[in-house]
Amino acid sequence: MKKTNVMLETARQRSNIYGFLSLIYGSEAGRTLLQRIKEPEFFSELSDMGINFEDDFIQKPEDELLEELAVEYTRLFLGPGKHISPHESVHHKRDDGDWGTLWGADTVEIKKFIAASGLEYCSGFTGLPDHISVELEFMQKAVSREAQAREEDDNDGALYCLRIQKKFIDEHIMKWIPVFCDKVVAEAKLSFYKEMARLTKYFLEFEKDNIHKYFAEDGE
Amino acid sequence: MANLSRRNFIKLGIASGALLSAGEGLVSPALAGSVQLQHGGKDFDFITGTERKAVPTACWSCETRCAAMGYVEDDRVVKMESNQNSIRTEGKMCAKGQSGPNDVYFPDRILYPLKRAGQRGEGKWKRITWDEALTEISGKLKKLRDDGQPEKFMFSYGLMKASSAALIKDVFLETYGTETIGNHESTSNSAKWAAQELTWGRHYDNWDFDNTKFVLNFGSNVQEAHSNHVPLSNRLIRARVEKGLKSVTFDVRYSNTAAKSSEWVPIKPGTDGAVALAMCSVIMQKDLYDKDFFKFIRASENVNASVDEKVAALKSHLAQYTPAWAEKISGVSAAKIESLAAEFAKAKPAVVISSRGAHAHFNGCENERAIQMLAAITGNIDNPGGRCRGVEPKWESPEGPKDKPKAKRLEIVDGKGTALPTHHVSHQSLKMIKEGSGGRPDVYMWYCYNPVYINGEANENAEILKDEKLIPFSVVSTIVYDESSKLADIILPDATYLERWGWEDQVCPTQVPEYYIRQALIKPLGEARDFGDVVIQLAEKMGMPLGVGATKEEFVSKSCEMTPTVKAAGGIEYMKKHGVWHDPNDKPQYYSYKEEVKTDGAVLDEATGVYWKGNAGEKYASTEGAYKKYVGQKIGDKVYRGFEPDKLNKTGYFELYSAIMKEKGFGPFPTWIPIPEHEKMKSDELILTTYKVAVQILSRSSHRKWLSELYYNNPAWINSQTASARGITDGDKIKIKSSVGEIVTTANVNEKIIPGVIAVSFHVGREESGRYGSGNKSPMAHDEDPDLARKHWDAHGVNPNKVISNASDPISGQMRCMDTVVTVTKA
Repeated sequence: MKKTNVMLETARQRSNIYGFLSLIYGSEAGRTLLQRIKEPEFFSELSDMGINFEDDFIQKPEDELLEELAVEYTRLFLGPGKHISPHESVHHKRDDGDWGTLWGADTVEIKKFIAASGLEYCSGFTGLPDHISVELEFMQKAVSREAQAREEDDNDGALYCLRIQKKFIDEHIMKWIPVFCDKVVAEAKLSFYKEMARLTKYFLEFEKDNIHKYFAEDGE
Repeated sequence: MANLSRRNFIKLGIASGALLSAGEGLVSPALAGSVQLQHGGKDFDFITGTERKAVPTACWSCETRCAAMGYVEDDRVVKMESNQNSIRTEGKMCAKGQSGPNDVYFPDRILYPLKRAGQRGEGKWKRITWDEALTEISGKLKKLRDDGQPEKFMFSYGLMKASSAALIKDVFLETYGTETIGNHESTSNSAKWAAQELTWGRHYDNWDFDNTKFVLNFGSNVQEAHSNHVPLSNRLIRARVEKGLKSVTFDVRYSNTAAKSSEWVPIKPGTDGAVALAMCSVIMQKDLYDKDFFKFIRASENVNASVDEKVAALKSHLAQYTPAWAEKISGVSAAKIESLAAEFAKAKPAVVISSRGAHAHFNGCENERAIQMLAAITGNIDNPGGRCRGVEPKWESPEGPKDKPKAKRLEIVDGKGTALPTHHVSHQSLKMIKEGSGGRPDVYMWYCYNPVYINGEANENAEILKDEKLIPFSVVSTIVYDESSKLADIILPDATYLERWGWEDQVCPTQVPEYYIRQALIKPLGEARDFGDVVIQLAEKMGMPLGVGATKEEFVSKSCEMTPTVKAAGGIEYMKKHGVWHDPNDKPQYYSYKEEVKTDGAVLDEATGVYWKGNAGEKYASTEGAYKKYVGQKIGDKVYRGFEPDKLNKTGYFELYSAIMKEKGFGPFPTWIPIPEHEKMKSDELILTTYKVAVQILSRSSHRKWLSELYYNNPAWINSQTASARGITDGDKIKIKSSVGEIVTTANVNEKIIPGVIAVSFHVGREESGRYGSGNKSPMAHDEDPDLARKHWDAHGVNPNKVISNASDPISGQMRCMDTVVTVTKA
């Protein structure tokens, strides 16, 4: 494989993983998503990486599982009562002290960051701008744009996309999502969300450790 | 966690991709659109987090007038960039354009109407209201007009183009009735324009770098300064880098353009015409000419001459201009001339480019005609990759009152004895006012212009402008207190180009017209007012309503609705949103001279072969303004659009033989004219040449701190041989003396200039232009700019116009900026 193709392939698959993780946190897991995850091809990839669901996921009848996952999602991320708000402004400890609430300083930062990149929030989107699924979707799109640039042999464009990604990872994602994932692992009752949170954290840490390599043409 | 390898993540990614593309309705994204590369999307201040509003507009730093984006934050202009959608600039902007915000916020800016309080030039001012200013000015103007002496209102302008010219000149001044109007063109390119008007008709040339195979450059510094700077320099450097385009530059100096060429050929000042003539001679004698193009060439008195007769006539004329002859005059070797001539003729297509290095001389118009001839005989005219007639957008705009008076004028704007002052000889106007035979104005008003600084004999200009007996009342509209506005009676605070509206029309290198507008990014600071608004208000006060709208903004809006193509694209609202528009279906305009035209309603003038809408008994060549009625040129049994005339009654041929020149007492063919003063130079004398740099704009920018920090001083370039012969070493103080004055500067001894020459740049040497440009604080300036404390330069250079005379090319009236004879000694 040519070097550029390695980078193209890497970008495509990184984008896919961000897209997948965005789905997990975007809403309660639906039937299609569950079925796809349980398909052997997907399941074995997760397993290879050490992501192992327990019987509460593997053995449970589908309808029952859907119901349980919906309850768990609501309990973990929506409330009522004590829950883990999936928004950056709640978790990202800022030096200026402006954090810990919804619609905080980082919500504004995220909104601006995303607008500055040329993306806009869909008119039908009713969540807050700094929801974890939005940030992961943003990364999905930024990496996807990098892949497009690589397809077009536009190295400058690819590097530009990488700079956006690195800035977003350094200034936002790594400032809160790993901490958020730890909280989910601690609080989750079902192995699905526990394992998904572990996968998220490991992937993002892998990203943080490796993204600088992608600036080099050979990705090493 | 087991295996966190890239390989595993890739596999997971593939599986995720399959998953994502599988279920319908699985994905409901929060974000729309795609990440935009560079410059896209919105912009935020990194420190304050304030959103920057991006407003499409147009630069007005130099004549190029690039489509631009202005970024505004809390009603403050913070940044200028190019408009990425412009086909002219292709999203590039130079340092001059990027320094635009300095124009608005420099601390010495004039922000209120000022009236002289002491003696003229004494520097005492009082602030007056706009009403007081307009009442006083309109009172004087109305009286002159009512008395039947509108010509005693003299108006001069510099870079006033497109919508500004359409409103101020074509509507306001025409309705008023004065034609005593001067401009800056004789200090700029009038010799070139006259040469083009003599040869191919309407002036302005485009250089098709995108499609050419060879560039031959006579004295253009296109990489640093040109009236279409970024659109051309960007394309030239791209073709050089990406395609290895060969370019050869003749220049006295190793300019940055020469440095970025394949080859620099040093040449003596003012001798470009000799080299061009010799190259033409080689091409004709060796039969390397383009025979097909000769059909459209005029090369003899007989307009019906055959191609062979024309070739023979030209060969005969050019036989005298051998390479050996040109070597003696120019210093360029005969062998080099021969080889370059052959290379140029064979390149197909090749483009010859030229500018002031070739034509700001006594013989400028003839040098340029020779260069036009070089392009014509090789068929490199109006062709892809050649020297093309510029293509600009055709705006329609309100014309004002239908019944305009027949304009009157004082004979002070065309110099004395100039053969073809088609772009005026305005640099001599002050001298002519002093001399008095052409009359004197009662009111002198100038705009975008600094007559003291930019014309020759700067010291005398100041004395004349200061003399109330010669000029009783003077008014200027300006943003900056400069060498001329300090001598005005009333200073009107102008809006900067970032605070006003306009439509623009500079030529597009792709040969497809691009329409673009300027919108005000912010309201004018202080009490500044766009001079376009001011003339509308002055006219109202005089009881001379213009009927073009109450403001320049309205004028621009109406123009967008009146211009059919722009209107069809969406009119003013489209232009406000996008800034630029071109028809994507437009094809590049080449070879338009080959179009056949209908002759309905036109008559044939047998002597010239011109079809025109003249009256019975009139002769085309001798009827004043006949060129305005030109329809086509008869060649053989067909009538072509040809090279239609503009300003002169030429035929529709590409005229290498000019009956107009013959009638004026010059050679009908492009001819070598030696520079008289150079013929009798003494051994200790040198030639002073001048130049411009990439980070200053004429006399318009020294108040911009970002630019002046880059370029604030102009030591004189002198060759090491020339310097050592005078005991001068690098950094020495030197005196440059001519017949009209002297300046003291420092020597920059180097090998980048030919011996026998000294070069001093323009732009600096400012006596006034605020603290960044001159060190002097302007009246009523403020001290709030923290960068004032950081200004690290005390030197402000010298103005070469103090030693350059106001003499001119006898044909076009072009000021001779490049051929003054001087002595240079240690000071």
